[in-house]
Amino acid sequence: MVTGGASTAPAVAALQARGAVKRRRSWLAVLLAAIDPMRLAGAALFVAIWQAITYVLPPVILPTPLGVLRRAGADFWSAPALSFYGVAHADLYENLMYTAENVVVAVLIGTAIGVATGLVSARFSLFRAVLDPVVMTAGTVPILIAAPFLLIWFGATRASAVSLVTFYVIVILYIFAQRAATNLDPIFEQYARTFGATKGAMVRDILVPATVPEILGGFRIALAGAWGLEAISELLGSQSGIGKVLEVLAGATDAQGIMACLLLLGVTAIVADALAALVIARVTAWSASAR
Amino acid sequence: MPAARNLRMIELIHLGRAFTRGDGQSVQAVDDVSLIIPEGQFVCLIGASGCGKSTLLQMIAGLLEPSAGSTVVAGEEVAGPGRERGMIFQKDSVFPWMKVIDNVEYGLKCRNVPPQQRRELARAYVRRVGLAHVENAWPRELSGGMLKRVAIAAVFANGSPVLLLDEPFAALDYVTRHHLHDVLLDLWEEPGKTVPRTVLFVTHDVDEALTLADRIVVLHDGRVVDDLAVAALRPRTTDSLLLPEMVAIKHTLLAHLGLEQAAKKPAAAGAAA
Amino acid sequence: MTALQLRLDHLVSLLVFLALAGVWQILSVIYTAEAQPGEPMVAGWQVLFTKTFLSLADYWQGGFGVPAVAEGAERSYLAALLSVLAHSINTIGRLVLGLALGGGVGLLLGLAMSWSPWSRRLVDLPIQFLRGLPLLAMVPLFQLWFGIRYTGEVLFVAYGIGVIFFAGTVNAVRNVPQIYIDNARSFGASRAMLYRTVILPAIFPAMRSTILLSLGAGWGAVLGAEYLGAQSGLGYVIVYAQEFAFLDRMFLIALLFIFYTSVSYWAISRLSVRLLAWAPPSQRQ
Repeated sequence: MVTGGASTAPAVAALQARGAVKRRRSWLAVLLAAIDPMRLAGAALFVAIWQAITYVLPPVILPTPLGVLRRAGADFWSAPALSFYGVAHADLYENLMYTAENVVVAVLIGTAIGVATGLVSARFSLFRAVLDPVVMTAGTVPILIAAPFLLIWFGATRASAVSLVTFYVIVILYIFAQRAATNLDPIFEQYARTFGATKGAMVRDILVPATVPEILGGFRIALAGAWGLEAISELLGSQSGIGKVLEVLAGATDAQGIMACLLLLGVTAIVADALAALVIARVTAWSASAR
Repeated sequence: MPAARNLRMIELIHLGRAFTRGDGQSVQAVDDVSLIIPEGQFVCLIGASGCGKSTLLQMIAGLLEPSAGSTVVAGEEVAGPGRERGMIFQKDSVFPWMKVIDNVEYGLKCRNVPPQQRRELARAYVRRVGLAHVENAWPRELSGGMLKRVAIAAVFANGSPVLLLDEPFAALDYVTRHHLHDVLLDLWEEPGKTVPRTVLFVTHDVDEALTLADRIVVLHDGRVVDDLAVAALRPRTTDSLLLPEMVAIKHTLLAHLGLEQAAKKPAAAGAAA
Repeated sequence: MTALQLRLDHLVSLLVFLALAGVWQILSVIYTAEAQPGEPMVAGWQVLFTKTFLSLADYWQGGFGVPAVAEGAERSYLAALLSVLAHSINTIGRLVLGLALGGGVGLLLGLAMSWSPWSRRLVDLPIQFLRGLPLLAMVPLFQLWFGIRYTGEVLFVAYGIGVIFFAGTVNAVRNVPQIYIDNARSFGASRAMLYRTVILPAIFPAMRSTILLSLGAGWGAVLGAEYLGAQSGLGYVIVYAQEFAFLDRMFLIALLFIFYTSVSYWAISRLSVRLLAWAPPSQRQ
């Protein structure tokens, strides 16, 4: 086991060395893209067009960009009106945190289960034969179909939303992990075997590290989708969360409030994705396929 | 050859190209290259990798803008790609979504040649490169050597008087490469045509250059460092390469590529960079 | 993979689904808890295809000479069938119209914006922002804009698909191997010719995944719109049944929905395999 672990290191080290050069260039590219004046002009143009349309449409339909921004800022720490509608927390921050907590918990649990089953399925054909039909079908059906069932089984609780998002994450990561392990060039495992690596060592030193970039790519996709799913689950039945706030504001036909919530949720999702990308870039610095 | 030849088919006038590297430093890939190539000449551009030979060819093709100087082909300044300059790339450029015959027809289609006429012409060239049996195949069903034959047929069918080849056979095996040399030379020395097409062939293979070229231009660090005539008669055989004058040229070329100490002092090359 | 292996895989899939159906049946016998009096948590197949199916007649709004249950008529299998058909057509209609509208507009805008690297950079940040906004959370906004009108739901689906298509197209055009563009240009292809003969076919393998992605998003969007506010469609029936804890009805409709989504994926896959006959097998998966 020990020798196996030590001797497979060259294969991984070679991979790591190859990718190190690429990363530096990509970071520079990211930096350049961020301060690209054309891109900034595009963002400005987007806001300008929005502002222009507000002159035509009434504010009940389309509030101004500044109005939405102010509203998001004002309601962030305290929005007493929400308590009248039966929202447990009368501010956007705590509701956002509730939603974010659920997403994070669901994504972590789902990733653990999805990756484990996905990797095992790629190496044990019987396991795969049984799981594949179920997961592949679940992969094509919008998982949202399960939401009303979960509401009946768990009621309008945290568990119902979290389990919905967890299912979704499991399916995506199962598929990504399985594909990554199936597509892994057998040369690496053969190479490790020539050094006398044990099965356990091969899983630890080859299978897991080599599939990580693709799996993390799936992780980002799952994370991105999780926010909408969590929000709609809260819209369907919950006492807290940004989805609940959206439901209340929709009842009050408060376009400005809805857009402020969507803005905050969107920014949270984008920041979470950027954070994930940052961590992934560090973890998989050697790989060209991550990113 | 008695026919009237354009003695200045390709003119490179103080051509230069600088790149900005990722770290912000400027690199002079092609540095003040001036060259005149008469019509019908088969010229090989040779140099170690990174010497700027592909950049030079891309500029002549019009795919890359020069940062200094200009290129004149058949009396007209190059401002972009044009059909009078056919190009064959090192990587497979054959469109995978078109069948072999459609790929060969492509240039003619771009010029709105009537379908019947272009199909006939394309067929003739598909036959000439020995692919008649696969004219309706998808490119993915073909080997690397066959894909190159498709690219050659397409360029010749398009009738470009100037051909630019960017290490077209570098990725092929020894035997396939030699077969393709024959295919290329066969089409180049087309019977019935008094003046063959003008060819600029980029390579880093000394023997390939000696087999194909009338003239070999050596590039180093973006500059022309030598310009050699190859007078040996065609068709050239294995024995041709053993002629004393050919061996002499080979030694010179190898020296330029840094494989022989004889002619060149490495210190001078270092200073130029 | 050999043909035999493929057949074997299909057989195993079939067996797995049969086993699941069997487990469900056994569960219905063992686990007799009820969500409401007379409404079992787990309804056996004999119940689902008789009593449950008949009860779907409740969601028939009348017409074709078959009166609605709400108007005092008896439940009938014909009314149940019409009800299922009508709601299915509504659901599929939302998807198909949204897919056509969003896909078409997204593709055209994507191609237009890819025309030059300038415009590509101009739209980069807005499109990234719109992609980052969780689609399903936007149902209330569209309801506020369009009410519970059919057009509004179609536009919501079209928006979700359009954003994916737009971003997918821009990305696919950016990833077209430069060599094909250079090759076409060296043959003297015009800009329009380049788009028609090189860009469009070359982006297709990449667009395949965009189409599949947007199909999934589209079905999700349809469901979301129908859960929240729409007055017809399979999602509406499910949520309506949920309010009364009619688990068996929800289950039957959900099965029907799964059937539709599976068929839609199968159809798109078949179609794209045909259109991608030129591509190496790895790009057709």
